[in-house]
Amino acid sequence: MWSKPWRFAEGFLIGGGLFAVGLALQLTMGPIDWSLFASPVNWIMLGLLLAFLALMFLLRKKVYAFEWMMHGHAAVASLSWALGITLVMGLLPQTREGGVTWLSQMLTFWPFVMIWTWMMVISGLATINHLLRFKVKEIPFLLNHLGVFVAIVSATLGSADVKKLQMTVSYDNPEWRALSDDEVVVEPGIAIELHQFTVDYYEDMTPKRFASDITVYTEDGKNVHGTVEVNKPLKVNGWKIYQYGYDNSLGSKSPYSVFMLVKDPWLPAVYTGIFLMLAGALCLMLFMAPKPVKKEEKV
Amino acid sequence: MSWNLFIWFALGAVSCWTLGAFFAWKEQKAKVYAFTFLGLAIFFAFILGMWISLERPPLRTMGETRLWYSFFLPLAGIIVYSRWRYKWILSFSTVLSLVFICVNLFKPGIHSKALMPALQSPWFAPHVIVYMFSYALLGAATLMAAYILFFKKKKDVDSEMNITDNLVYVGLTFLTFGMLFGALWAKEAWGHYWAWDPKETWAAITWLCYLLYLHFRKIQPKEWRRACWILLLAFVCLQICWWGINYLPSAQGLSIHTYNVK
Repeated sequence: MWSKPWRFAEGFLIGGGLFAVGLALQLTMGPIDWSLFASPVNWIMLGLLLAFLALMFLLRKKVYAFEWMMHGHAAVASLSWALGITLVMGLLPQTREGGVTWLSQMLTFWPFVMIWTWMMVISGLATINHLLRFKVKEIPFLLNHLGVFVAIVSATLGSADVKKLQMTVSYDNPEWRALSDDEVVVEPGIAIELHQFTVDYYEDMTPKRFASDITVYTEDGKNVHGTVEVNKPLKVNGWKIYQYGYDNSLGSKSPYSVFMLVKDPWLPAVYTGIFLMLAGALCLMLFMAPKPVKKEEKV
Repeated sequence: MSWNLFIWFALGAVSCWTLGAFFAWKEQKAKVYAFTFLGLAIFFAFILGMWISLERPPLRTMGETRLWYSFFLPLAGIIVYSRWRYKWILSFSTVLSLVFICVNLFKPGIHSKALMPALQSPWFAPHVIVYMFSYALLGAATLMAAYILFFKKKKDVDSEMNITDNLVYVGLTFLTFGMLFGALWAKEAWGHYWAWDPKETWAAITWLCYLLYLHFRKIQPKEWRRACWILLLAFVCLQICWWGINYLPSAQGLSIHTYNVK
């Protein structure tokens, strides 16, 4: 143990150490309050994370643990830990409160976040390592590791900046107030006027289509006329407006339509990560798969 | 087209695939391709007929996704055959496909015309088809792993592990596509691309398993036994993600990925 090069045993112990540190944090600070990460804290955290990665990379010759974290054994150890802890999450019901202590609120459980962060650090270090000795044949590796890093880090850090509101709009009465998740009345800076809400049905009377014909008024003087349907949100001033509900008992005669308003300033970064991952996945099949073994004798 | 006609199309397709598999043993390549593709055409004609008569892609119910799975297995089989010429692969894929066809014949499930609004999206078809194709490839990889672990006599496994690796690389490409298409679709339908819904959590678990396999193979190519066990575990997770989730206490009443409930 702990003789170089480190292999799996060391990796699993490091993961265990992170898990223990996470538990200590959980005991002393309680569950993670993600709302504390709202801008500008998330920008500062991003800066710290990138600085930390750069520092680890620069110190790789002095600190063996950093050198080790750029390579496959560390990847396998962190993937195993992430797999294990996510399996627990999949097996236990996840609820807002109650359930199994800590484990039923996995997303605010420090060890879970520590392990996933560790995996992202390893992916980030691998990216830097390959980027600095760039060769064309490294592109598939870079797309995959950079893609997953960008997507997951920005999705996590950006989560506190996601605004999700619910707006109930009655006929001929433009609405500018909305309810946040914790039931606080807020003004999103846009108003919605409902012209017509419709439900279409199949022959067997199961709903086929919900649609609201609306005009959206913005603070900067725009009016946007459009139809919002399930799967067809309307985009106005950074808000995406979704068809969310209606008076179920009245169908097309519903006197109001309920919309969900979502704003996610980090979305472009997450999508950049997703598209890098898609390109990387394509490379996986085309360039990264091992060459077929040519053998005279076939099985 | 209706499900009553399925048995005739299935009989035609499976007969062709069986002939294709037979000629693979006889090493008559032209006949292998001719019969396998004829079978695929017959089977796809049924899918297309259902698509037209249902006025929507047949992708909603478990029975409908099994239909695609039965189609993709021989397709994956013939792709593997064209690259590596394994005599047995088409027998394999035909038997496996037959299992899913039989499930559909004896337990057809619900096949109504209605497609709820949440599923009416251009993402629907690519999301499910890509996933089914990846499941077929990863299913083949699992069978390879089981063969290597439990049935193979000689323990010179390099060429078998090579096929297994290739199946996983291509399978993982499609698995990643399926997952990310799902995320892009979820943003349009539900307002967020990832909400740790039980189905999404299990998709992440499955994805991590296959990533673990790839990384493990890279650094420890000689430990093929452990690698095969990772694949068996991965496939269990994949099954839980696909249908096992419906029986999992953790997902009861929580998943928004439930489409059969009225």
